[in-house]
Amino acid sequence: MDIKLTINKKDRHLNLKGNETLLEVLRDHLSLTGTKTACQETECGTCTVMINGKAVLSCITLAANAQGDEITTIEGLAQGDVLHPVQQAYVDCGSVQCGFCIPGMIMSSVALLEKNPEPTQEEIEYALDGNICRCAGYPKIFEAVREAGKKMKK
Amino acid sequence: MALTPKSKFVDQYVDPVGKSVPRIEGRGIVTGQLKYVFDVQMANMLVGKMLRSPHAHARIISIDTSKAEALPGVKSIVTAKDTHQIKFGSNEYFFPHTVDQMALEADKVRYIGDEVAAVAAIDEETADEALRLIEVKYEVLPGVFEIEEAIKPGAPQIHESLNNIAVILPVNFGNPERVMKEADLVREDKFWCPVAHPSPMEPHVCVGQWETFTNKITLWSSSQAPFKCREALAKTLKMDLNDVRVIKMAVGGGFGGKLEMLPMDFAACLLSKKAGGLPVKICLTREEEFTTTRRKHGMIYKIKTGVKKDGTILAITGEVLADGGAYCSYGPTVLAAAIMRIFMVYKIQHFRMSGYRVYTNNPISGAMRGFGGVQSGFAIESHMDLIAKDLGMDPMEFRLKNITEPNMVTVNKMILTTNGLRECIEKACAISGWQEKRGKQKHLKRGIGIGIAADVMGSKMYKSHESAGAIVKVEEDGSVYLFTGAADTGQGSNTALSQIAAHALGVSYSRIKCKAGDTEITPFDTGSFASRVTFISGNAALLGGRDAKMQILEIVAKDNNLNIDDLDIKTEKVVFKKDGKLLMSFDRALELCYSFKYGKQIIGRGSYNPKTTPIDFRTGEGNVSGSYGFEAQIAEVEVDTDTGNVKVLELWDAHDIGRAINPQSVEAQIEGSLAMGIGYTFYEDLRFKNGRVLNPNFAGYRVPRSIGMPKMNSILVETDELEGPFGAKGMGEAALLPTAAAIANAVEDAIGIRIKELPITPDKIIKALKERDT
Repeated sequence: MDIKLTINKKDRHLNLKGNETLLEVLRDHLSLTGTKTACQETECGTCTVMINGKAVLSCITLAANAQGDEITTIEGLAQGDVLHPVQQAYVDCGSVQCGFCIPGMIMSSVALLEKNPEPTQEEIEYALDGNICRCAGYPKIFEAVREAGKKMKK
Repeated sequence: MALTPKSKFVDQYVDPVGKSVPRIEGRGIVTGQLKYVFDVQMANMLVGKMLRSPHAHARIISIDTSKAEALPGVKSIVTAKDTHQIKFGSNEYFFPHTVDQMALEADKVRYIGDEVAAVAAIDEETADEALRLIEVKYEVLPGVFEIEEAIKPGAPQIHESLNNIAVILPVNFGNPERVMKEADLVREDKFWCPVAHPSPMEPHVCVGQWETFTNKITLWSSSQAPFKCREALAKTLKMDLNDVRVIKMAVGGGFGGKLEMLPMDFAACLLSKKAGGLPVKICLTREEEFTTTRRKHGMIYKIKTGVKKDGTILAITGEVLADGGAYCSYGPTVLAAAIMRIFMVYKIQHFRMSGYRVYTNNPISGAMRGFGGVQSGFAIESHMDLIAKDLGMDPMEFRLKNITEPNMVTVNKMILTTNGLRECIEKACAISGWQEKRGKQKHLKRGIGIGIAADVMGSKMYKSHESAGAIVKVEEDGSVYLFTGAADTGQGSNTALSQIAAHALGVSYSRIKCKAGDTEITPFDTGSFASRVTFISGNAALLGGRDAKMQILEIVAKDNNLNIDDLDIKTEKVVFKKDGKLLMSFDRALELCYSFKYGKQIIGRGSYNPKTTPIDFRTGEGNVSGSYGFEAQIAEVEVDTDTGNVKVLELWDAHDIGRAINPQSVEAQIEGSLAMGIGYTFYEDLRFKNGRVLNPNFAGYRVPRSIGMPKMNSILVETDELEGPFGAKGMGEAALLPTAAAIANAVEDAIGIRIKELPITPDKIIKALKERDT
């Protein structure tokens, strides 16, 4: 079936069987490998992308169901060479270690901050609880979210 | 005053050691551009899958692959018949008899998940279908799954050995039995340390390619030890080391789980060969990750200590039983570390402890962050608190009375040089408010507890040496390459080693690009384990940077008729040592090297092997590491006695790290360790029934998530280790070692309940409270 997906503000025309997940389409069909997965069963948050501003797990989203939606992946955040404030904050605050969870973590952070640039500690924890990071103890990730929020508010 | 225009390379990090420079891979990570093996896509790449035993213990009668081979889209299938049937292992230098695993088992399977065949096909569905079509006939054998059952006479025999005890480690010093009689108090405790799993976010993944005509193998690997992987591949495939190239790409976490070659690495290469050289990618599912990769050893830890009234420890005896699972892996050295770490922490003259690593038909135990020290940390530090309680002593005072000192030799001949343990305890107590809180918050059901630990900076495990090498290549335009064999698995070693090399060369951090862990290009390195990289690979990077600097100074001295010994390069400038006066800029010096007159390439070389002595595993004697790191940890908790829920309010970790190369990275390592320690304390518990993993996913095996993480405080104690690069020690594991005990000790302080079997769960608390009140 012919499917049109809007990914990072670009229209992509795809011929799919119909049962592909958004994760498969991003990684295997479009080589957008910035989106990772660590479980493919909705437990880790690593495959998080944004659909219409909401953080969504691409491993259980049928690509065909995302027609007409605004899909944003980690590749769609930076403007040219300039990193998104959340990306920059993750670098500056030393929030990245192995980095495998970070694209998903950043997408969840952006989805939170776009709605609420001044989240409380509790709101940050709830927004990121679906994203596992095995390297960090999370304080530096929380710090990056707070720092990015300040910049996004301006 | 610069003699040439300001270099584009000069940044705010002209003397980068000690600065929190941003991670080299930072921009790649946050944009998704950094490539992991998981992301590798190649033309005509095949999907590889492993066929695994459904039985915990069975004889293989026959394997029929004919139906699978006939399936369109299947490109190759391999079984033990296609292999040389050479065994591999990880402690071959010290314990050759523990090399016991075959890449594809031929006669027998020993756990649920044991690899018997592998397929490569054009896509995942075809590969899965091919696995279903392979017919394996098994004769099922009785299995054994509990440590104490496996050591009984007549238990099902898992390997061709006398019994299921793969390794016995007797560690004996002095005369503990005699001295114990002089003790005012003798206390004995038994602890259970459960099975945790490393569970890195990137599962094990590899791409293997065997160029059939040139007979050359390339393995793109998510490895913590690419040179170890190469060695195992070369051995099992009967190739020369330089016919095998292992390329470590970005690694999505390791935590000990990615230290060894797995059958999948071997199979990917062999499948590629049989498929005419097409690349084969094998990526484990999360379930395979939990059930078939290395896990932490479950341990029964029995310990008995005799003390004098004043709190002086006289003697310790004990026994450690470790569930090894089906194969030995790193088991023998894990067991040794679980017993011998105590000598770094406490002054002990009389000691007897025996360790037994026992085969069972459970999945394979191996290395995991902490390397036996998490288990012993929980047992010993809980036990020490209980002794202090029996003596009526403050547990902090009890520890201060018995800890090791700087510049001492332990009873097993470990040479402790810098030792900040006392300072760590004192600082952690002062900053956490120990005196005001300990024993004084019972009305709030709050408590505070302490645990202390020490760790090595490297350990010989699979070779007679553990050297690291570095090459520092200074290009004509002033950009610099650091080639290191060290494997950054996320801890930030590429960044730290680049800082060290830049600092040693006397230039800005931004000049450096780091190429790491490619066995064909980079110098040898044993790998990322035993908290060794900053210390050992760091020393190699330091020597490489210094060598490059001397090569440049040689030309400068010659050209200016000066004595090389009078010159130095610091913060981008060639200066006179005696007064720091500027001679010329670094760029100008480099122009000279690459001039018509000299045409000299600058290639610095570093090789470092720590000053250690071999361990005698019959006694436990030997100086295993070139330096030792120390720490004290304090936990404050609040217990809800209605629900049994324990909330960790705050953690303090005071850590002797020698000198922080990158303080931000050091904090990140401490915070990550504390989180893992919280996981081990409360919920990380891989459970088995008849050899089957009951919770092989993140829903059943919980790992720390963002909700409920306590405030974490890193207190860096800098002791300037003389042998460390710019004073640094390693610290990748130590902060995980005492966390469970510190929390368990805090729980007892809060409500008087002692948990000796991890994890600490609400039902155990409630049960203990009920038992106490009836």
